[in-house]
Order: sequence, then C-alpha cells, then structure tokens
Amino acid sequence: MSDSEVTTEIAAEPLDGAAPETTQETEAEGTREMPPVVADQVDDEVAPFRPSIVGWLARGAVWALLAWVVFAIPGNYFSPFELGVSDVGHASKAAIFAIIGLSLNVLIGYTGTISFGHQAFVGVGAFVSAYVIVDMGLEFWLAVPIAAGVGGLQAALLGAISLRLTGLYFALVTLAYGLFAEETLFGITAFTGGEGGKNVPRPLGFENDYTFYYLCLAFLAVVLWVDWRLMRSKGGRALQALRENPRVASSYGINVKVYTMYAFIISGVFASIGGALLAQQSTFLVPETFDFELALIFILMTVVGGLRNRVGVVIGSVIFALLEEGTLVHLLHLEGILDSTIGLPAEFFGLVIGPILLLLTITRFPGGIGQQIAPLAQWLRGRRFDPHAGKVREVEVSDVRA
Amino acid sequence: MTTELGIAVVNGIFAGSVYALVALGIVLIYRASGVFNFAQAEFGTTGLFAAYAGVVLWNLPYWLGLLFGLAAAVAMGLATERLVINPLRNSSRVTLLVGTAGVALAAIGIQFWQSNEQPIREMPKIVEGVALQPFGAAITWQHLITLGVLIVVALALAVFFRSPSGVAIQAAQQDGTAAELVGISVRRVSMMTWAIAALLGGLAGVLSGPNLTFTAGHLTFGAGAALLPGFMAAVLGGMRSMPGALLGGIVVGVIEQLGSLSLFGYMSGGGEMMLFFFLLIVLLLRPQGLFVRKAVAA
Repeated sequence: MSDSEVTTEIAAEPLDGAAPETTQETEAEGTREMPPVVADQVDDEVAPFRPSIVGWLARGAVWALLAWVVFAIPGNYFSPFELGVSDVGHASKAAIFAIIGLSLNVLIGYTGTISFGHQAFVGVGAFVSAYVIVDMGLEFWLAVPIAAGVGGLQAALLGAISLRLTGLYFALVTLAYGLFAEETLFGITAFTGGEGGKNVPRPLGFENDYTFYYLCLAFLAVVLWVDWRLMRSKGGRALQALRENPRVASSYGINVKVYTMYAFIISGVFASIGGALLAQQSTFLVPETFDFELALIFILMTVVGGLRNRVGVVIGSVIFALLEEGTLVHLLHLEGILDSTIGLPAEFFGLVIGPILLLLTITRFPGGIGQQIAPLAQWLRGRRFDPHAGKVREVEVSDVRA
Repeated sequence: MTTELGIAVVNGIFAGSVYALVALGIVLIYRASGVFNFAQAEFGTTGLFAAYAGVVLWNLPYWLGLLFGLAAAVAMGLATERLVINPLRNSSRVTLLVGTAGVALAAIGIQFWQSNEQPIREMPKIVEGVALQPFGAAITWQHLITLGVLIVVALALAVFFRSPSGVAIQAAQQDGTAAELVGISVRRVSMMTWAIAALLGGLAGVLSGPNLTFTAGHLTFGAGAALLPGFMAAVLGGMRSMPGALLGGIVVGVIEQLGSLSLFGYMSGGGEMMLFFFLLIVLLLRPQGLFVRKAVAA
C-alpha cells in the first residue's frame, strides 16, 4: 500500500504545471514527445487533493480517537469505562498477538511459504525467556534478546534443512516441527517446568497489568518499525521480487535461498519476542498453551488481516486475540443475543466465526481487513475518501507461491 | 527388548492401518485437486461425532449410526469441494491449503461448541473385548476390524479404478481439458473424488474413535492424531501412489511406536520426535517417495 502512496505523490507533483503543457504539445507537434507515463495513473485526480480545514479537523479527530482507544482506555485515563485487570490483560495479549501476526506475515506475505509450526516458534521464545529469568535469574531486558537470538537460531536451523523443500512440503515439515516441539521439546521438564507450569516474574516497573500493556505496545511499535525498515532495505526489495517470480528474481542476481532464509530468521526473531512477552503476560506458563490449534489461529489472523498489509495484520491479530475466550463478545455485550438465538456460548465464538471469516477472506475478499479499511486509511493520511481505494492487485492472497 | 519391539511393531501396524486410511484419502485428493487436504482428518472426527450422536444419543442401531457418521463425513467432503475448493480452483496451492485448514478449524470449532457440556466422550466398540495378545500387546476386535476394513477398501479401490468411473477420475486427474473433450465432466469427477476421500476419512474416524475416549479435533491434534502420520504416509508413497500410501501408513505407524520404546523412556513425545526426523530424512533423501512405481498407480 505504501508503495502506491509514493508513486502517486511523485505523480501528483509534475502534474500541476505539466498537464496543460503536454496536451498543448501533443496537439501541435504530434508524437515528438511521449506524454509522461505517470499521467494516466492519476487520471481521476486532476489536481492534488488538499483537505479543507474541516477535513483536517475531522481527520485529526479520528486520529485522536484512535490514539485514545489505543493509549488511554487500557490505562483508564480520560476514560468513562473502568477496565479491570483481566480486560487490560486481554489488551496486552492483543498487542502480543499483533507481534506474532507480523512475524507470520513476514513468512506468508513476503516469501509465500506457509508455516504450520509457528506455535513452536512462539513457544521457544516463551520458554527460553522464562528459563533465563527464572532458572538463571537474569533480567527481563537480557532475556528478550537471548530469546530472540535462540528463536532466530532455531529458525536458521530449521530453515537450513527444510528450505530446500518448497511450498506444500515445507508446510508439512513445519507441521511436523510444531508437533515435535510441542510434545518433545516442551516436554523436557528441566527446560519448561513441565505440567506444573512456570510463573515468570515481570520486569521491574512493569509488574502492574496496566504498565505491562504499555510495555507490550512499545515492543509492538519497535517490531512494526523494524519490519517497515527491513522491507525498505535491499533485502526487503529482494523479497518482494522473489515473491513475484523466483526465477526472474534469481536471474537478476538475487540469491533465492539466502533471502528466503533471511525472512525466515526475521520471522523466528519476531515470533520469539512475541513468545517472551507471552510468557510474562500469562502468569502461568504451561506447554499445553502452544498446541496446533494456536498455529491455525495464527495463520487465520494473518490471512484475514490481509497479507503484506501491516495495519491489516495488526487489526486482524487484535480481533482474533480478543475473540479468543470471548472477550470481544463480552465487551460488546453480545453474549445474551448469541446464546439465545443460536445457543453459541461466547468462548466458542472465535473458534466458530474465525474459520468462516478465513474462508470468506480467501474466496471473496483476498485482501483481507487491510483491503477493507484501505479507503479509511487513505482518508486518514489526508487523501480524498475513495470507496474503491486499495483494490489493487498487490493485495491478493492468490499470488502466494506454491 | 524383543518383546518390547514386538509390541511396538504390532501396535504400530494397527495404528498404521488408520493412518493408511487417512493417507489414501490425502493421496486421492492430491491427485484430483493438487492440494494437501488438511481437513482430511477432520472428515474422520466429524464422522465420529455424527456416529456417536447416532449410536449413543439417539440410540440408533450401531450399523445405522455408523452409516450416519459416514454420510456426515461425505456431506462435509462434498460441501468442502463446492464451497471452498471449486471457488478457489484457479488460486495457488498454498491458498487452497489455507482453505482446507480453515475447513478443519471450522469443524473443530463447531465440535468444541457442540460438545461443550461433555468435552470427553466415549464411543462404544463394534465388538468389545481383546481378540489376541501377540507379545502381550492387547489387540482388540476393533483393531482387527479396522485392519480388515483397510484391506477391503484397498481391494475395492483397486477394482474401482479399473471401472469406467475410476478410469474417468484418473483421466481427469492427468489432463482436465483433454478429459472434458472426450466427455468427462471434470466437475462431477472432482466431487466424486472428494466424496470418496471423505468416505475414507470417515471410516478412519468411526473405526479409530472407539479405541480411546475422544474430544473435538480427535484425529487432527487430539489423542488419535492421524493427520501428520497420514501426510507422512502419503509422502512415503510419493503423494501419488495409493499402494505406496497404504504401505506408508503401516511403516509410519510402526516408526511412531518405536518412539515409545524404553530407549526413549525418559522423555515425552518420543513418537513425535521419531516422526519429525523420519519426515526430514525422507524428504531430504528421497523426496519422490519410498515406494514409487513408474506406471500410474491404481
């Protein structure tokens, strides 16, 4: 999405003066000069759109509202709702899920390979960080880099042996790895604490659920920034080329293996950071948390959010995190309606609705939530409200490589 | 040690016959739609839940309950083909894969919801009791029946793929356009394949369900998880060979049981470890499968 933003901005500038000139020239001198190619990309926008003062105020109000929802409500600042500790816990979980969603987005969205074992990546991060904090007695601020490092290392190891396989077979290996990690690795009692679980103390200053939420938010911001910068780097552009067509990319000198591995390691690092936070968020860490169902939910939230669309992935992850255990249903006071009409208890709402959303996404709206909110996102950035924004072929799931 | 090994092998063969049933369905669908069907095991669990509803909740005769379970599995297979696979026929394989995973998760969600009051259930066996005890491994009649059904199914499939309908399926799988030109309806063939595969999945479900208590997602990630072993069996057969998948199922069953030897006694999840490393070795050394034949296998 941000790519198209850049092109339209470049396109809009010369158009101010150039557009009338070119039309005169083509009348007078025939085919002497090609009209600027960019002109036909913005033919529906003759002059660059500048919102009026009211428009800016409206946009500012929506931004402020968003900021209020994200920053103020969970901390009970300027808020009419008195959120309890458990509600803020769900908000932290939503932020952590967003980190995990971004991690999976790197893999599915940027490289087109799919991982059915992401719960293992997250779990490794969680248990390594828990081990470092509880058993080695180190600080949280040391545990996160260690967990991220181990997460990157295991991704590198798994990638080194399995990225020789493509598409479906790779998915199969990740599935086997997920089950292996869940049953075997996390079954090592000395490492994970076994069935009894582990209580991981939070870092100094963030013991409180409210302050911990802001810690998760800060980590999410860092991950978002790193993801954005990485995708703008040489490696990120190489990945984009790779996903479009690996053969063409490799003929331009892009090393397919190395860059897929690069994405795989980034994904592993992000997932481990998410896992390290998840270990702190749940007061009680048990291996059973990281089951195959969780991996499926991770895939769901990423695809429904909209691949290669950071905002969409974050929103999708937040929705699915809140759907779990029925928080969203409780917040909206829908449990009575659901229970009386179709007899669906709130805690199963996400499990039943989520897959239906997924199937709708891939069959009808391949761009996911990211595509649906594109008009609003464009408007918020100071563009005209265009209900057809975001309907570009860039945001399709169907070009995921097999 | 020999006794232990014997028990592992015998248990493995009987566990493997369930995997083989799942693997046969996976191979059929891979050949027809080119997709790894992650919902294959869920056809089984859905069939199992339906059969349970028939036999235990509505007190139907056992055979009628089984029939209802299989019918539910086939209905789910047909619905999957119509609602997910057919609309996505032009998308990439990974999209299709996500689609089948979505079908599986939807089924699991509905099972969790419907079995909320009583999450752990028990399906009665067809014939109760232990039939024989080689090396001290208890082989129930249910196990023997499962193996018998597998053999019958394998023979029936072999015969079916030589009948006109079976030949039509193979033709459509090899070249859809050419098959259409000679008057084969690819749409009908695709539905037929999914129905047969769902029937195989359903059989795996209703036959393996009574061995243990079951929960939602029983065959996908529950106690009777057969999805990953089924895939591995299919991979052993090179994803295309049906006899390969059958043999692969048995091999995978035995290998998984080897993980439960006292050699690995101090660790949990030995079976999963064996499966993971076995899959890696097979995919890296012989990605074309262990038991592949040149000719188009029936």
